[in-house]
Amino acid sequence: MNEKWIDTNTFHHSEFKDIGRLVAAKNEKKLSISLCLPTLNEERTIAKEIVIMKSELMTRYPLLDEIVVIDSGSTDDTRKIARSYDVTVYQADDILPQMERFKGKGENLWKALYVTRGDIIIYIDADIKNIHHRFAYGLLGPLLLGDRIRFTKAFYDRPIAIGQNKLRPTGGGRVTELVTRPLFSMFMPDMTQFLQPLSGEYAGYRSIFEKIPFHIGYGVETGMLIDIHRKWGLDVMAQVDLDRRVHKNQDTKALGRMAFVIIKTFLNRMETLERMRIQQQIHDEMIQYQLVRNRLKPENHLLEQHERPPMIEIPEYRQKFSRTTAGEKASL
Amino acid sequence: MEDYLKALPTFVDRIRKIREIIISNIVLVGQVPAPTFQERRRAECLVERLSEFNTDECVIDDHGNPVGVIRGTVKEKGAIFIVAHLDTFSELETDQHYEVTDKIISGVGVSDNSAAVGVLASLPEILRQLDLVFESDIVLVAPVQCLGRGNLRGMRRLLRAWPGPIRGAICLESVELGRLNYYSSAMIRGVINCSIAAEKQLGRHHMPNAILVINEVINAILGLRLPQKPRTQIVIGKISGGFNHGKIAYDAMIGFEIRSDSDEMVRELYSDIHDIVDGINKSFAVEIKLDRISNLNATQLRHNHPLVKCASRILRRLEVEAVCDPSETALSIFLQNGIPAITIGLTQGENFHQDGAMIEIEPMVKGIAQIPALLMAMDKGACDE
Repeated sequence: MNEKWIDTNTFHHSEFKDIGRLVAAKNEKKLSISLCLPTLNEERTIAKEIVIMKSELMTRYPLLDEIVVIDSGSTDDTRKIARSYDVTVYQADDILPQMERFKGKGENLWKALYVTRGDIIIYIDADIKNIHHRFAYGLLGPLLLGDRIRFTKAFYDRPIAIGQNKLRPTGGGRVTELVTRPLFSMFMPDMTQFLQPLSGEYAGYRSIFEKIPFHIGYGVETGMLIDIHRKWGLDVMAQVDLDRRVHKNQDTKALGRMAFVIIKTFLNRMETLERMRIQQQIHDEMIQYQLVRNRLKPENHLLEQHERPPMIEIPEYRQKFSRTTAGEKASL
Repeated sequence: MEDYLKALPTFVDRIRKIREIIISNIVLVGQVPAPTFQERRRAECLVERLSEFNTDECVIDDHGNPVGVIRGTVKEKGAIFIVAHLDTFSELETDQHYEVTDKIISGVGVSDNSAAVGVLASLPEILRQLDLVFESDIVLVAPVQCLGRGNLRGMRRLLRAWPGPIRGAICLESVELGRLNYYSSAMIRGVINCSIAAEKQLGRHHMPNAILVINEVINAILGLRLPQKPRTQIVIGKISGGFNHGKIAYDAMIGFEIRSDSDEMVRELYSDIHDIVDGINKSFAVEIKLDRISNLNATQLRHNHPLVKCASRILRRLEVEAVCDPSETALSIFLQNGIPAITIGLTQGENFHQDGAMIEIEPMVKGIAQIPALLMAMDKGACDE
């Protein structure tokens, strides 16, 4: 195991708070940067994220070149509110509409590659209650100030909101500790150095994202880490401490479904990497039980595995971004 | 038409264009809790924001007040103060999270007075965007310890220590747009606490009920004769007591405020209430205490003072109706020190001191436009009589 990685490739957001320096580095490298906010019914938090990012990293410092909201079909006012702050808003289904439609965060992230124009893309979840521009500049810092790092991932303390103005200071990251970390420890110990492998905030060069497949649902983070690691190795990856992230709490059953998808994604990757052979069919349904009038009733949740191919394999994308070959060797 | 009035439509347009910066400041500063006497973290946050916006001098003074100075072009001119009190009624000590939509900002303390503090933090950038440079130094202050027992202490101490002349002051309150205060009533706020001694709780004597005792106090206060002139009022605005439905109350309290056009009348009434409390203390043999929380003297700027006239004209030009009431803000401290000052409101809002406190975003654009217009007028001598 490469134990040095955690020392050399772990940063704190405060190392990059000189935003003027980041802008200078961006200009020197002639790069553009897109911020993508994937949404589904985030009317309570989306405006604050847009306002702070736009104010601090577009109006005051030209670090971001665009903010794009990709929505999975919100039934609340998410899209209307986002548009009122003059950012580009898409419904995921309207992007590459000739393709089969899927719903999920990963789908939004993947489609963002087609509609954004940045050389660097930063993804930030839209449900963060304590949003601060450090979430963006912290992740961009290692990408801009050096030439080695091509992908950054967030980690943080994760207090979870348990009611109005009440926070539980420990907890959060339960799926990480109960599922992802044990799996990584067993099969890919190098990857255990990612303190929050499931964090929803990451940034990277387009040249990386366009060459990896995207799981459309909860498996997107797990699949992404494994794929980047496999193609380019740990050295191009880094993690950044963003201090504190306050977000909505999910109940245990929802976390169970999330764990189901993550385990499936992991097993799928292990098979692809020929590290494991599974000799039976893996089912697509997660079965949970609930008590109804003193009787336990099963709830079957269909959690199908869908994955988008690397975006560079999509002809429309290659045409739009003047990419010539789909199956080129993994390069940065 | 005066320059500052002509410029108002342009101010409104340009301020609207940087509304994200203003909202960001309201959110980033307002989310840091600042109960009275515990404002340090918010003060540091504000000074950091002012410094990020290249304010010429940023400091937390010896009394804990965050202060930013935008240097003027003429050293000899006195300073113009812009003030928004830093503390809030919230007792929260953990971070609070504001919500923003296309129309409103909501969260604890936003309407008293976090929105005004956020606007204060944005002023260096607003003035830069409006290409405004002044002869006077513009001093941005968010005084601490203003509310309740704070009794405007931060502002009083800052003014006592301020080394140079002050031409005038604008006090900012988050709500309501149209508010134009230029006088303050004499005022004393007090609390009356009644508690039953421990030996009585144990049932050794006939046990009085603290709520009923407080009720006697209220009745006695209501019996006080108040003159029509000078205008005088006693408001009993807070009450609490007891433990549960079936238990005799061990403690009870009321909070009250005496207001009058006359300092003397307020003092007399306070003395009357003191007598009432003493009398009830003796007749019920309970522990009942009167405690003064804060006080202000009656002060005023003439209604036809040039600063008041300017502020009225600005509101008229913005098509906002002016509402003139007395104010218990830092305004009175400036007026007491002979410094012309007014208090203005920045936007509309609801649920002033409650959990659902919110302010509206769009009216705030007009509310903020008052500030540069007033600064232009004051810098050209509107306060210098």
